[in-house]
Amino acid sequence: MALWVDKYRPRELSKLDYHKDQAENLRNLCKQSDFPHLMFYGPSGAGKKTRIMCLLREMYGAGVERLRNETMNFTTPSNRKIDIMTVGSNYHLEVNPSDAGMYDRTVVIDLIKQVAQTHQIDVNGQREFKVIVISEGDELTKDAQHALRRTMEKYVATCRIILSVNSTSRIIPAIRSRCLGIRVPAPSEAEMIAVLQNTCKREGLVLPPELAKRVVEKSERNMRRALLMLEASKVQQYPFTAQQQIAELDWQVYLRETAAQIVSEQTPAKLEKIRDRLYELLSQGVPPNLIFRGLVEQLVNNCDMSIKAKTLEYATQYEHRMQNGAKHIFHLEAFVAQFMNIYKKFLAELVMTDDF
Amino acid sequence: MSAKKKPWVKSAFSQLTMTPKAGPVTVPYKRTRSAAAAAAKAADATVEPTPPNTPQIVDLTLNEDDEGEANAATPVVSENWMDCFAPSTSEDLAVHPKKVGDVRNWLQHCEAMRKKYPAQICLLTGPAGCGKTATLRVLAQEMGYELQEWINPTDCEEINALGDQPNEGTYMGSQLQAFKSFLLRASRYKSLLSTGNKRLLLVEDFPNCLLKDAAATFEDLLDEYANYGKSPLVFIVADSKSRMLNISYKLFTDQLKAKLRIEHISFNSIAATLMQKSMKRFATLMQQSQHKSLYKLPTQTVLDSIVVCAQGDIRNALINLHFGSLKGAPGMETKQLNVSAPSKGRKRKATNTLKSIGRDESITMMHALGRVFNPKYTEAKDKCLLHNPEDLAEAFSTEPRNFVNFIHANYLPHFQDIADVNSALNDIGLADMLLQEYRDESLSLVGLTIAVRGCMVANVAPVSGWMPVRGPKRLTIEPQLTPAEQKTLGVASGRISKRLYASEYSSFVKLIADKTN
Repeated sequence: MALWVDKYRPRELSKLDYHKDQAENLRNLCKQSDFPHLMFYGPSGAGKKTRIMCLLREMYGAGVERLRNETMNFTTPSNRKIDIMTVGSNYHLEVNPSDAGMYDRTVVIDLIKQVAQTHQIDVNGQREFKVIVISEGDELTKDAQHALRRTMEKYVATCRIILSVNSTSRIIPAIRSRCLGIRVPAPSEAEMIAVLQNTCKREGLVLPPELAKRVVEKSERNMRRALLMLEASKVQQYPFTAQQQIAELDWQVYLRETAAQIVSEQTPAKLEKIRDRLYELLSQGVPPNLIFRGLVEQLVNNCDMSIKAKTLEYATQYEHRMQNGAKHIFHLEAFVAQFMNIYKKFLAELVMTDDF
Repeated sequence: MSAKKKPWVKSAFSQLTMTPKAGPVTVPYKRTRSAAAAAAKAADATVEPTPPNTPQIVDLTLNEDDEGEANAATPVVSENWMDCFAPSTSEDLAVHPKKVGDVRNWLQHCEAMRKKYPAQICLLTGPAGCGKTATLRVLAQEMGYELQEWINPTDCEEINALGDQPNEGTYMGSQLQAFKSFLLRASRYKSLLSTGNKRLLLVEDFPNCLLKDAAATFEDLLDEYANYGKSPLVFIVADSKSRMLNISYKLFTDQLKAKLRIEHISFNSIAATLMQKSMKRFATLMQQSQHKSLYKLPTQTVLDSIVVCAQGDIRNALINLHFGSLKGAPGMETKQLNVSAPSKGRKRKATNTLKSIGRDESITMMHALGRVFNPKYTEAKDKCLLHNPEDLAEAFSTEPRNFVNFIHANYLPHFQDIADVNSALNDIGLADMLLQEYRDESLSLVGLTIAVRGCMVANVAPVSGWMPVRGPKRLTIEPQLTPAEQKTLGVASGRISKRLYASEYSSFVKLIADKTN
C-alpha cells in the first residue's frame, strides 16, 4: 500500500496538475537531443521531484520507472566507510548526499565518477548520457559543491546532473552558472484544493470543500504535506466532516508548546527545560533551520508589537551564526535566552508604566 | 650470540669496570646504564654518602682537560650530587610507611617461596617521582638482594637504521630476543663479582616493541618466565595520563595479573608533610662538612615553596632545592599563591610558589570548570578575576571544542539572572563559530578564551552549591522505521532523505501506519 503522495503522483509531463506552461517548456527541452545540467528550485512540496521524474520519463520512456534501491559504499580519505541509499534505474540515479553529513564531498565525487565513467549502452538510439539527480542540493557543504563543479565539467559528455534545491542562495555561484535554473513555485490554494478533490475522487471519498480549504491553509502551500495531512485525517476519521480535527506535524505542535513555555517564564531553570526540548527535537532529526524558523514565527506571534522588530533582528544574527557554527543547539539556545531577556525587560517596563 | 648483541652482554658484567667498595654492608648492584643516564633517572638512587677520603672526585663544571687548575678555584661535588641525598635506609624514605611495608612484605614472601616458586612478579605503579625506584633499591639492599636492571640496548636500532637488515621484523625480533634472554639468564646466573646469592630483576625500561600492540607477546614472555625464571621480577611503571602510553593498563591486564599472581602495588604522590620531613633531611645533609663549601641553607619560604610546587614529586623537589641553594646562585624568587584567609587553629599554610621553576600546574577539567562557573575576584581595589581566563583557556588549548561543549552543558545552573545567561551564551555561540573556522589555527584559542571569559565575566551573581558535572550530550539521529511504517512507505523510502522524513513524513506516516495495520 503506497501513500497517496506516491500513488497519485503525476508520471508524465502532460498529466501535471499545475504549472502547465512550464511543463510544455520542459517537453520542448527534451525534444532536442541534448540538454544542459538543470537546477530545479522552489519551496518544499511544490513538485520539483515530480517534475524531474516526469522529465526523465519523457526522455527515456517508461524504463525510468523500474526503480531499484541500491546501497552504495564509499570510503572517505580518513578511511571511514559510509553507506548511502540510492534509488535508480538503468538511466538515472537519485542520491541524497546530505545523508552522508560532512562526508558528502566523497560521495559526490565518487558517485559521479562511477556513473560517468561507464557509457550508456546504446540500446535503441536513446540519449548517450545518464542523469544523476541530487536531491537537497542546498544541503551540500561548500566543499562538496566545489568538488561538484569540477566533476560536472569533466564528465559532461556522459552524464547530466539535475539538482533539486530549496533555495539557490546556498548554492555557490559557480554551480548556479553551470545549470539551467527552473523555478517551481508553490501551487496556489485553488490549485491545491483541486488536487485534493481530485485525489479524493479517485479514492472514492467525499471531501467537504471547507475541510479541503482548512487542510490547504494548515499545510502552508506544501502539496506533499497537504496530501499526507489529508490521508492521516482520513485514517483518523471518515466520513469527513467540515470541522474535524486535522492531523498535524508532531514537531510543529511540540514547538508551539515550547514557544508558549518561553513566553510564560524567563529564568535560567526554564531555559534548561527549553534546552532539553530542543535537544529532543534535534534528536528526532528535524533540521535545525526549520526549528529556528518555527520558533521565531511562534515567538513573534506571541509577543508585543514593540519587541517584534528586535526579536527578528536577533533572530537573523543567531541564525547566521548557526549556519557558520557546528553546534546548532548553542545558537538555538542563545536565541531563546536573548528573547527571554528582551521579553523580561519588556514586562518589567510594563509594570513600571502601569504604576503611574 | 652475534656481534651486535655484544654490548648488551658486556653490560651485564659491567661490574668489572667498577672498583668494589669496602664497606661490609654494601651490596654492589649493577646499573648497566651510562653514568649520565643514571644521573638523570636515578634521582634517589641508593648510594651511601661517599666517605670524604674517596678519591673519586668529579668536577661537574669543567672538562677533564683543565681539571688541575680548576680544582683550586671552584667547589667540587663528589660523585653525583643527587646520590648524596638518596635515602640509604628505609627510615629515610619519603614514601608512606604503609607502601614501604607492602613492598617489604612482598620481598619477604619471595624469600619464603624461594624454593618452590622462585619467579614471583611484582608491578609498582605511581606518578613520576613518588619514590618507586628508591623504595625498591633501599629494600633490596636491606634484604640482601642484588638488583639487575634491564636497559634497552641501542645497537639493534642502529643496525636497522643503516639498512643492513631490509626486513622490518628483525628489529622487533632481536630486541625481544635480547629481553627474553636477559630475563632468563640474569635470573639464573650470578655475576662473577657478586657476593650475594639472591638476585632481583628490575624492568623499568620497557622494550620499545612491547609498547605497541604486543600484549600477547608480553603475556607469552611472562608465562615463560613464571615457569623457568629463578628470581623475583619487578616492573616499575610510571603513571601516564594518556591511555596509549599507559603500560600498566595496556600490558598488565587484569587477566594476566590474576593468572600469574602478579602483585600490584600502587604508590601515591608524596604527601606534603612527608616531603617537608625529607626537605629537612636534605638541609641537614647540606650542612655536613663535605657539602658546606657548595651549598648555602635556603630560607624556610623557599623550602615551603619548593614543596608546594613539586606537587608530590620528590625528585623534582630535590633538583629545585639543589639549584636554589647552590652558593653564588641568586635567591629564588617566590610568588604569592592565592591567599586563603588563614583559618583559626590551623597552621600557617604554604602559600608561596616558585616563580621561575617548578612543574607546570596541571589542572583537571573539573577543576577548571569550577573556576569558570564560580569566578572569584581579587580583593584589591581594581577588582579583577583571580584566575586569569587566558590561563584557563591555555590549559585546554589542545581540546578547545571539548572544553566549550563542557561549559555549555554545565553553565546554566550556575546563573541566576537570564540577562547574564544571555550575554554568556552569546559569547559561547561566538566561540562555536570561531572554532568552526579552520583556516586560521590561532582562532581556536581565541574562541576558547572568549567562551571562558564570557562565562566568567557575565556571571555577576554565581549560584554556589554543589552541582554535578554533566558531559555534553551526543546527538544520534537514527530514526528507526517500524516494519509497519516501512510497509506504508513502500519503495519510496529510499528516495526520502533522513531530514525530510523527520520533518515532513514521520508524524503522518506513524498515524497512517498505526491505523491501517
